[in-house]
Amino acid sequence: MTAALSAAPPVLQLDRVTRRRAGRVAVQDLNLELAPGQVLGLLGVNGAGKSTTLSMIAGALRPDAGAIRLNGEDFLERPELARRLVGWLPERAPVWPELSVMEHLDAHGRLRGLHGAALREARGAIIERLELQPLARRLAGILSQGQRQRLGLACALLHRPALLVLDEPANALDPVQVGALRELIREQAAAGTAVILSTHVLVEVTAVCDRVAILHEGRLHHDGPVRADDHAALERRFFGIAMQGATPAACAA
Amino acid sequence: MTLLAVFRLELRRLLVQPLAWVLLALGLAWLGWCFTRLLGDFLAGEIQRAAQPDGPGYVDLVAVPLLGQLAQIAFLVVPLLAMSTLAGERRNGTLPLLFAAGVPASRIVLGKYLALLPWLLAWLLLTLAMPLALAHTTTPDWGKLAAATLGIALMLAALAALAVAASAFTSHPAIAAVVALLLGLALWTVNLGAQMAGIDGGAINWLAMSTHGQNLLRGLVSTADILWFVLLVAVCLALATRRLAADKERG
Repeated sequence: MTAALSAAPPVLQLDRVTRRRAGRVAVQDLNLELAPGQVLGLLGVNGAGKSTTLSMIAGALRPDAGAIRLNGEDFLERPELARRLVGWLPERAPVWPELSVMEHLDAHGRLRGLHGAALREARGAIIERLELQPLARRLAGILSQGQRQRLGLACALLHRPALLVLDEPANALDPVQVGALRELIREQAAAGTAVILSTHVLVEVTAVCDRVAILHEGRLHHDGPVRADDHAALERRFFGIAMQGATPAACAA
Repeated sequence: MTLLAVFRLELRRLLVQPLAWVLLALGLAWLGWCFTRLLGDFLAGEIQRAAQPDGPGYVDLVAVPLLGQLAQIAFLVVPLLAMSTLAGERRNGTLPLLFAAGVPASRIVLGKYLALLPWLLAWLLLTLAMPLALAHTTTPDWGKLAAATLGIALMLAALAALAVAASAFTSHPAIAAVVALLLGLALWTVNLGAQMAGIDGGAINWLAMSTHGQNLLRGLVSTADILWFVLLVAVCLALATRRLAADKERG
């Protein structure tokens, strides 16, 4: 991330966001900011609130309290902002099984406001970038999980969002594809796209993220920079929070 | 534009599903068989009818009964066609993708409902083409035929709305189809007891789809009957929208 990008106003601001799910608090008083070009790794054990947080940022779920701002505008007042600004790859990349890869891209493009030549151009570019040509006419229902992930990623990137939200994107990808995914994330960040990457794999965070946030039982327990050679420190911090619990104040440093 | 995007997405999903084509083919095959039978009966009684100049004609004996057959099988076909509209989205996990694209629940429901209508219209027009193909050989009562066609079109639209509403409340398309079938039949027969007791008016008769549908099939077009169908469509779509909006709230 360059200094110029880090000085830019945040793409995303979460201000005391709270959400209950299934009778329990899934996310509580969450504050986060993300500048253009930043890559934030979101870590946490199962049930920590990662997917709920990402669903709210993507616009698929409304918070019970708090504010979410995209490019300074209140996202809850204007949910249509998600259409332009956010690209979201949910966990397990849901698809319409009866539609082909190409039809998925067309449908997502139209839903995100792309039409005619702009849609064709964006579709062609993303198919080429993610090497989806051999799959273009294949039905999504018969794709392997890894291929579905790539299709989901293509749909998330199609409209060139300012904020890319990736929920476990490396699921079911082979090592070569994981390498390609990391390269893609770095490429997006270099182009100024803010990226949130939720993962269970700590090495993913040290490989591509320049910041890490650790959620535990719906609360933010750590938010700080991360370096590629920082894996052992990150591991200690993560397991410290996940296994023993920690107070937010203790981890604010 | 998001309404159009949802409409196109749903239309595409319908067009690539074998089920929609199988239903269309089986429905038309059955109606073709019914048409042949009705036409045979009509031709067989031609000599007797020649003695009654004001008796029932081609529209009364062939076209309207054929549309009546279409209405009967629509109670089964429309729920099967529409069962995946929202239940399928929920089962596939794709509903959040539509929410995340900033599409309000009302546009999701309306877009999906509107996508069913061209298919139903095509089914109605292909059925209508059968009696119309021979209409030049007779002097049909065009007014009665138009009223019956309007009645069937409204019935199909109402059944589709009912099926979309049923689909909004479950993640199992088969359950949505069964619920829509039962609700449709219940709405049609809700006044059966009153009819058997010889009661012609009252709220129970107003509530029944048969009261309004049969008026139109008889060639009687009234604003009250048309409004009844419009009201049913509006209530069903409003319920589906409410349920979908609650989904987004609940997560």
